Amino acid sequence: MSQHTDLLQVRNLRVAFRTGKTSTVEALKGVSFDLPSDATVALVGESGSGKSVASLAVMGLLPAQTTLIDPASSIRFAGRELLGLPANERRALCGKDIAMIFQEPMSSLNPVFTAGFQIGEVLRRHMGMNARAARLRTLELLAEVGIPDPATKIDAYPSQMSGGQQQRVMIAMAIACEPKLLIADEPTTALDVTIQQQIMALIARLQQARRMAVLFITHDLGLVAEIADRVIVMRHGEVREEGAAAQVFGAPRDAYTRALLHCRPRLDARPLRLPVIDDYLADSTAPAPDLAQPQRVRGTTPGEQPLLVVNHLAKRFWLRDGLFRKRAFDAVQDVSFTLGRGKTLGVVGESGSGKTTVGLTLLRLHRASGGSALFEGRDLLALSERDYQPYKRRIQIIFQNPYASLNPRFTVGQILLEPMRIHRIGASDAERIGMARQLLARVGLPEAAYGRYPHEFSGGQRQRIAIARCLTLRPEILVCDESVSALDVSVQAQVLNLLQDLQDEYGMSYIFISHDLSVVKYISDQVMVMQAGRVVELADSDTLYRDPQHPYTRSLLAAIPKVG
Amino acid sequence: MLAYVLRRLWQMLPTMAGVVLLVFVLFNWVGGDPAYLLAGKMADTAAIENIRRQLGTDQPYYVQLWIFVQQIVSFDFGNAWSTGEPVADIITSRLGPSLTVLVPLTILETLFGIALALALAFVRGSLTDRAVMLACTVGMSISILVYISVFQYLFAYRLGLFPVQGWGESLGQNLLTYALLPIIIGLAVSIAPTLRLYRSFVLDEVGQDYVRTARAKGLSERRVLWVHVLRNAAIPIITHVMANLPALLIGAFLLERFFGIPGIGREVILAVERSDFPVIKAITVYVAAATMVFNLLADLLYRAVDPRVQFK
Amino acid sequence: MSAHLDSAGLWTLAWRRLRADRIAMAALAVVAGFLLLVLLSGAGLIAADWEREVAVNYAPPTFLGADPGSRALAQAQLPRATLPNAFDPLAAELAELKAQVAATHPPREKRTTLPFGADKWGHDIVQKTIKGGQTSIVVGLVAALLAVTLGTLFGAVSGFHGGWVDDLFNWFYSVFTAIPAILMILAVAAVLQQKGVATIVLILGLTGWTGPYRLMRAEYIKHAAREYVMAADAIGASSLRRMFGHILPNVAHVALVQLSILTVGFIKAEVILSFLGFGVPVGTVSWGSMLNEAQNELILGKWWQMAAAAGAMATLVTAFSLFADALRDALDPKIK
Repeated sequence: MSQHTDLLQVRNLRVAFRTGKTSTVEALKGVSFDLPSDATVALVGESGSGKSVASLAVMGLLPAQTTLIDPASSIRFAGRELLGLPANERRALCGKDIAMIFQEPMSSLNPVFTAGFQIGEVLRRHMGMNARAARLRTLELLAEVGIPDPATKIDAYPSQMSGGQQQRVMIAMAIACEPKLLIADEPTTALDVTIQQQIMALIARLQQARRMAVLFITHDLGLVAEIADRVIVMRHGEVREEGAAAQVFGAPRDAYTRALLHCRPRLDARPLRLPVIDDYLADSTAPAPDLAQPQRVRGTTPGEQPLLVVNHLAKRFWLRDGLFRKRAFDAVQDVSFTLGRGKTLGVVGESGSGKTTVGLTLLRLHRASGGSALFEGRDLLALSERDYQPYKRRIQIIFQNPYASLNPRFTVGQILLEPMRIHRIGASDAERIGMARQLLARVGLPEAAYGRYPHEFSGGQRQRIAIARCLTLRPEILVCDESVSALDVSVQAQVLNLLQDLQDEYGMSYIFISHDLSVVKYISDQVMVMQAGRVVELADSDTLYRDPQHPYTRSLLAAIPKVG
Repeated sequence: MLAYVLRRLWQMLPTMAGVVLLVFVLFNWVGGDPAYLLAGKMADTAAIENIRRQLGTDQPYYVQLWIFVQQIVSFDFGNAWSTGEPVADIITSRLGPSLTVLVPLTILETLFGIALALALAFVRGSLTDRAVMLACTVGMSISILVYISVFQYLFAYRLGLFPVQGWGESLGQNLLTYALLPIIIGLAVSIAPTLRLYRSFVLDEVGQDYVRTARAKGLSERRVLWVHVLRNAAIPIITHVMANLPALLIGAFLLERFFGIPGIGREVILAVERSDFPVIKAITVYVAAATMVFNLLADLLYRAVDPRVQFK
Repeated sequence: MSAHLDSAGLWTLAWRRLRADRIAMAALAVVAGFLLLVLLSGAGLIAADWEREVAVNYAPPTFLGADPGSRALAQAQLPRATLPNAFDPLAAELAELKAQVAATHPPREKRTTLPFGADKWGHDIVQKTIKGGQTSIVVGLVAALLAVTLGTLFGAVSGFHGGWVDDLFNWFYSVFTAIPAILMILAVAAVLQQKGVATIVLILGLTGWTGPYRLMRAEYIKHAAREYVMAADAIGASSLRRMFGHILPNVAHVALVQLSILTVGFIKAEVILSFLGFGVPVGTVSWGSMLNEAQNELILGKWWQMAAAAGAMATLVTAFSLFADALRDALDPKIK
C-alpha cells in the first residue's frame, strides 16, 4: 500500500495503563498498521489482544488520568499527527471525520433522549444545521440505515427499539457527518445471528456507497471473511499478521492466524479432536488438520434404550399487568425429546427461544409448569425435594458465565470439596482432597490450583474448574448451558476437546445448549431447534444441517458466515 | 397510569394501618398511664379516675384503637395535654413557619448541590476533587449543634447581622429577617452530605457507555456533563428530594428550637419534653402519611421523567 | 496462569490496598487511639474521677492563663475555721467530724487552670471529654452492631426466600421508614420514661435496622440469582448453607461498611439526643451533655468545653468516615 493513499497510519503505538500507585500494565506493545481510505479493514483479536484499546487511542477516548501513551508513538490521520493535538481540536475530529460505533447499542445510546435528538445533535454540532434542517436530514439517515417507519421512530426512545434497530440508530449517528473513517467495535457481537447478518450487510453497503474507510473490530475471524478487504490480526498487544484478506484467509503466514482459522469447528468436517492454538504455535508448519484426521461419527442409534425421556415440558412465568391481573409469559411450551446414553443433544436457538430455561427447568432450578422428565422410570419433575436430593448427583449443569459460576470467596479446593461433603462421597476429607486433586489434573489444571481463588484464573480455566466440580459427583447427564459461548475461540477448542474426552471416558450424556451453530454441529448427535419457546425441528445433526426442513432452521443456517 | 396509582394507593393501606398500630402500641400500651403524670403530685384517686375517663384510657384497648382511628380520619385529636390548645390547630398553625424556612432551604440546597456536583465531576480524580471531598467529610463530622451555636453567637450575637431569635407576623418579614440565619446555617450543614450524594449520582452516570458515545460524537466535555449526564442524574436527584421532603419538616427541629421558630419540629420537641402524647401521636401519623404520599409522588415523577420505565 | 507467591482472598487483598493508602492508615490510627482511650476509660484506668471538682468554676485552659480573680476564689473555697458557736448543741460532734475529715481528706487548694480548662463546677474538661467519649462511642458502636445484625438477618431471609416472608418484612420496613427516623427516636424517647445508656442503644438500634435491611436485601436478591448460587443448589446445598455459607461471605463487606457508617451516624444522634435531654441520664457525661452545658457558657465567653467536645467528636467522626470510605474502596475497588 502506498503511503499517500493511506488514510490512517499508526506507528509504534505503545499504550500502558496505570493500575496502582506504581504499577502499570502494557496494553499495546508497539503496534503499527495502515488503513487505506476506501476499504474495509478487519482488526481481529481475542480478549486481551488490545484491539479495542487501539481504536480508542485513535479516537482519543482513553481515560486521560490512567493512560500512558509513549511519546514515540504516532497516529497520523489524513496527514495530521493526532497525538499531541490539543484536546478540543482532537474532540472536534470525533463524529465528523472519524466516527465510532460500539458493541452494546442499548447502553451506548442515552436512554433519556430520543433517537432524533441524538442524531440531530451531531448534525448541529459539526455541520451547523438548525433544528429543522437537522430533523429532515435525520429522517433521511434513518431511512438509509433501514429503520422501518422513520417518521415515528425519530421520536422514539432507545428502550422502545430492538437491539438491531438501536444499532442502526448508532450507525446513523456515526455516518451523519460523512466521516472518512468509521470504526466499528464489535458491533454485532451482542446481536442475534440473523440480525448480525443484516447489520454486516448494512455496513458493507454504506462503505461502498460513501467510499469511506471502515475499521471493523471483532474477535471472530470467520465473521469478516465476506466483507474485509484487508485483515490485521492482533494478539497480546502486538500485530501478528497484516495483509489482503485473500492472502490472510488463503495462505496465512503467522502461526496464530492459522490457529484462529482452524480452531473453530467447521460445518463440513468433524475431526475426533479440534486443533488448539498450542498445536500451531509449537509447530508453525502444521497443515490444516481437519480433513486429515479421522472423522467422528455422530447420530442416534436406533433401538437404543433412552436415558432421559422428556415429554411436553413447559415453563410459564407470571408478569404483573395492570392493577391486579397477571400476564402469562410462556418461556417454554410443549418441549419433548429423548436423550441416549453417552450421546449429546444440541439445543439451538436465538435469544428468547427458551433454550436456557429448558436446561434450568430440567435441573429443577426453575419449577416446571408442566410436563415430565422420566429418568430410570421416575419423573424427576414430580419428586419431592427430599426424594430429588439423591438425583442431584446424577444430573449436573455447567453455566455460561465462567466469571459468575464459581463463588469468588471460596478457594478451588473448597469448591471441589463441597459437593463431595454434601453427598458424602469418599470416606474422609483426606480421601476427598485426593480425589479433588486427581480431578484437577484430569481437567488439565496444575496441582497448585487447589489453594487458589477463582479470580486468579482465566475464563477457560474457570470453566474447567466448573467441570471438575460437576465431575466430583460423577453425573450421568451434564447440561452445558452456553458453556463455551463466553470463551475465546482458541480456548473454546480446548474446552470442547475436554468435554469430548470426558464423554468418551465416562459415558456421560450431554445436553448442549448454544446459539453457535458450528459448535453445536460439531459436538451433537441430535439437534433440537427452538424458537419462541417451542421446538421447531428435531433431527440427527448431520441430517438437519444437510437438509433442514423448517424455514426457521433454514434461515439460521443461512446466516452462518462463510469462510474462504 | 391510573391503574398504577390505584395499585400503589391500595398497597399503602397496610402500611398506614401498620403505622397507626405502631403509634398506638407505643403510646397507649408501652407509654402507660399518663393519668398520674397529668394529675400532678398528691392527687387523689377520684381526680385520677376523672382524668382517665376524660382521656379514655380506662376503656379496653380495642375501643381506644377505634377512637384513635376516628381521630385520625376526622383530624380532631382533642386538646393538647399541656397547653389545652386543640391539636389540629397546633399542627396547622405550625406548618407555615416550618415551610417558610424549609422551602427556600430545599431549593437553594438542591441547586447548589447540583451545580457543585457537576463542577466536581468536571475535575474528578484531581487534587481539587479530593480536597473538596475531604472538606465535606470534615464538615459533616462537626455536630450541627456546634454550627448553630457558633453561627448564632458570631453572626447574631456578636456581629449583630441577624436577630438572635424570634419570629414575626408577616411572611415577608419572616423571610427576610428571621428566617435568613437559620437558612444559612441549614445550607452550611446540609451542603456537605448533599454534595457527596449528588456527586455519587453524577459519577455513576459519567461511567456509563452513553457518555463515551457522546464524546465519540465530538461533543464538548461541558455539553456532555450539563446536557447528557445531568438529564440522567436528575432522575435520582429529583426523586431523592421529593421523597425526603416530609422528613425535612421534622429535621429542622434543632434550627427551630434554637431560633424560637414556632414550627412543627420545635412542637415535637416540646411535646416530648412535656409528655404531650396527643400532639406527638397526631404529628407522627400525619408525617408518616405525608411521607408515603410524597414517596408515591416521587415514584410518579420518576416514571414521568425516565423513558425506560414509561414504556416498558 | 498468573504467578502468585501466595494466594490471597478478599480480606487479604483489601488489607494490602488499605495499607498502601496513607490517609486510610492515618485515619485508622486515630480511630484506634480513640478506641484505646475508650477501653482504658471503661476499665477505670483513666478519667475515673472526672467528677471531682478540682478547679475553680470556669477555670480557663493553661495556655490562656488564669483569671486574675481566681486565685482569691481558690483561696475562698478552702474550708475555713469557724468561730465556735455557743448555742449549737452539736458543736462538739461537728468539730470532731471536721477533724476526722481533715485527717483523711486534707483539703486541697483548687487549681486555677487546667490543661483544657474546667466547666461550671470545676470538673477537668480533658477527663470529661474522655469519659464522655467513652459513652458516646460505646453507644454508637453497640447500637450500630445491633442495627446491622438485625438488618442483615432480616435482609438475608427476605431477599433469599422472597414470597410471603419478603412481603412481611417489607411491610415492617415500610411502616418503620414511613416515620422519619428522628421522629421515631423522639417518640420512643417520649414513651420510655427511664433513661439510660441501654435505652438509647435499644432505641437507636431498633429504629436503625432499616438502612442495612434494604441494602442487604438488595444484595441477597442480586446474589441469589447469580450462577454460583444456582450451582450450589444444583450440587445439593441446603437453603441455610446457600444463605450463610455461600452468599454471606460475598456480602459481608457491605455489612461492614454499613457498620462504620452507622456508628458515625449514631454517635452524632446520641450527641443530639443527650443535648436535648432525652439521652443519657443526669450524672452520666457524654459529648452531647457537654455541648448542652457549653451552649450557655458560650455567652459568657467560656468556649473551652464546646471546643473540647466538638473537637474530639469532629476528629473521631472525620477519621472514622475517612476510614469507612477507604474500607469500602479497598473491598470493592472501582476505576474512578
